Amino acid sequence: MKELLPRERFTRALRHEPVDRVPLLYRMKHEAKEKLARVYGITDAGTGRKHNPALELRLGNDAIIYQIGINADFSHRPIAIGETWFNHFGVGYGKSGLKGRTPEEQVEFAKTQEFWGPAKVVPENFPKHHPITSLEEFKSYEWPDPADQEMLAPIRDICDRYQDDYFIIVDLSSTLIEAAYAHIVGTQNFFLYMFDQPELIEGVLDGLTQYYTELGLNAIRMGVDMIRVGDDVGAQQSMMVSPKQWRELARPRFESMFNAFRKENPDIFIKLHSCGDYSPILGDEVELGVHLSGLMQPTGGLKDQAEIKRKHGADIALVGGFDVQRLLPRGQVEAVRQGVCDVMKNLATGGGYIFSPSHYILADVPVQNIFTMLEAQRDFGVYGKYPLN
Amino acid sequence: MTEPVLQIPEGWEARAPEGWEWQTLWEAVEEGDHRYAHERVEQAIEANIDPRTILDDGLFPGFTLQGDRFSEQIIFIPEMLITARAMKTGLALIRPLLAAQAEKPVGTFVMGTVLGDMHDIGQSIVTIMLENAGFNVINLGTDVHPDRFIETARAEQADLVGFSALLSTTVYYQKVTIEEFVKAGHRGKVKILVGGAPTTQEWADECGADGWGRDAVQAVKLALALVKQPRETWA
Repeated sequence: MKELLPRERFTRALRHEPVDRVPLLYRMKHEAKEKLARVYGITDAGTGRKHNPALELRLGNDAIIYQIGINADFSHRPIAIGETWFNHFGVGYGKSGLKGRTPEEQVEFAKTQEFWGPAKVVPENFPKHHPITSLEEFKSYEWPDPADQEMLAPIRDICDRYQDDYFIIVDLSSTLIEAAYAHIVGTQNFFLYMFDQPELIEGVLDGLTQYYTELGLNAIRMGVDMIRVGDDVGAQQSMMVSPKQWRELARPRFESMFNAFRKENPDIFIKLHSCGDYSPILGDEVELGVHLSGLMQPTGGLKDQAEIKRKHGADIALVGGFDVQRLLPRGQVEAVRQGVCDVMKNLATGGGYIFSPSHYILADVPVQNIFTMLEAQRDFGVYGKYPLN
Repeated sequence: MTEPVLQIPEGWEARAPEGWEWQTLWEAVEEGDHRYAHERVEQAIEANIDPRTILDDGLFPGFTLQGDRFSEQIIFIPEMLITARAMKTGLALIRPLLAAQAEKPVGTFVMGTVLGDMHDIGQSIVTIMLENAGFNVINLGTDVHPDRFIETARAEQADLVGFSALLSTTVYYQKVTIEEFVKAGHRGKVKILVGGAPTTQEWADECGADGWGRDAVQAVKLALALVKQPRETWA
């Protein structure tokens, strides 16, 4: 098969049409990205709202993914030690891993980026102030502006510059249940309020649905190819809430959101992501008309990739599945290479698959394992050759 | 998968006053009705039922049933949390009475999420379940420096220590913290459990822990077994 344009390759895979090779979608957190960018002499390794896709395209990505949801603000932003930074949702974030550390340990932290092996510990940003914890706070809460031009303007630039060749995805994560528990309400509060104050939970989820529907529509009007919705409802071994609760709380809201998206552009592609094991609702994703599902961490409940592919592979395209918990950060290069081969065999056979690690590449991944993965994917991700013959 | 059923404590009638019933409390704990659990335990105390009996015959059956259902993925985090809250409400009323009877906790457990990691939902659930199983739990919260684990374990003369981690970037600190216990000369005095999404039995072996809990229920079972094993004394 002749070599396809990245955009064509990605679109054809989503439609389960034949492609020359498995399309790629690598994503990195800034520590890992900065480290790898140095190898390629790329000086702008921006992530989040300052995303520069140069490195990812160099690695072979067929799509550009730009994040504008609640995560785009906090997770890529440098927050100083002891500082609480508030985003436009009024959620406060701080830095972990620095409390109680000696000056020597902080110097060791700073050296992380100079060290080519796995980082020892990477300080992460975490929500620590939740703006809605009572009905009073909910009633007086002001939702952010879904037409915020500062957030939306870079999408037009990306489309203008890259869309002839590449597939353009806008990522709205975290979108619904995850945005509510992790950011707006707080995790334990969220689960208890499901019983104690259901009207508060319903209200917050309605507010998020309205905000993200408008935000997604604004992105669609700029001509993007796909909207990615991220909503973590999977724990390692099972779902966090029951499939029944998800069908009551999330499904109708996603349905209304996706219908609005399709009304604006009937050809819009939709991706739904959850971390952890969300296998009980994969069938619901199909029914909601989702085109792409993943990124499928394979060490917990989603272990049996071949079975997932057999059951749902004809109805929905899949992305991810390459273990980021153990294999990529800790595996020997031979195991990483074999792991890529296994994932291709399990998920890429028959098409409808996009290769990716099951989440961001973090700073704990040794550079040799990233290169092993890249080489293995070049060897094992070609249709007509082993293992895809 | 076998459907878990309510295990009715054998001979409970003999340990309760004439005409007493526990069924409503079993159901209240199962359904997470902490208000009724509070009310019924108060009534039981007024009726002079032995506090240990209230715990074993009144509170545990509904809690154990939900724990088994959680393990079997029949119920999920929200239901487990409200059941744990109902159990905890009842336990808070009888704990002073148990202490007055000089009834010792099963063991002292120092719990926390390791340095660099702010995730707390998993370790919060394990903490509540350990308390309900009779442990005295000191929860240090998230982002806990190895020195704090060591200082607390020493001050409390802990029997067990538990490290939680959600991220592949922070799970490494379970190993570091265990190494710090070794350096401080305290490794033999505590049993150490690890847990969290990126952990496995293989990781527990590799990092030098004594055990790994696949989920909260398994963690509690493991803690109950490990606390009986011999250790060096703190004194």
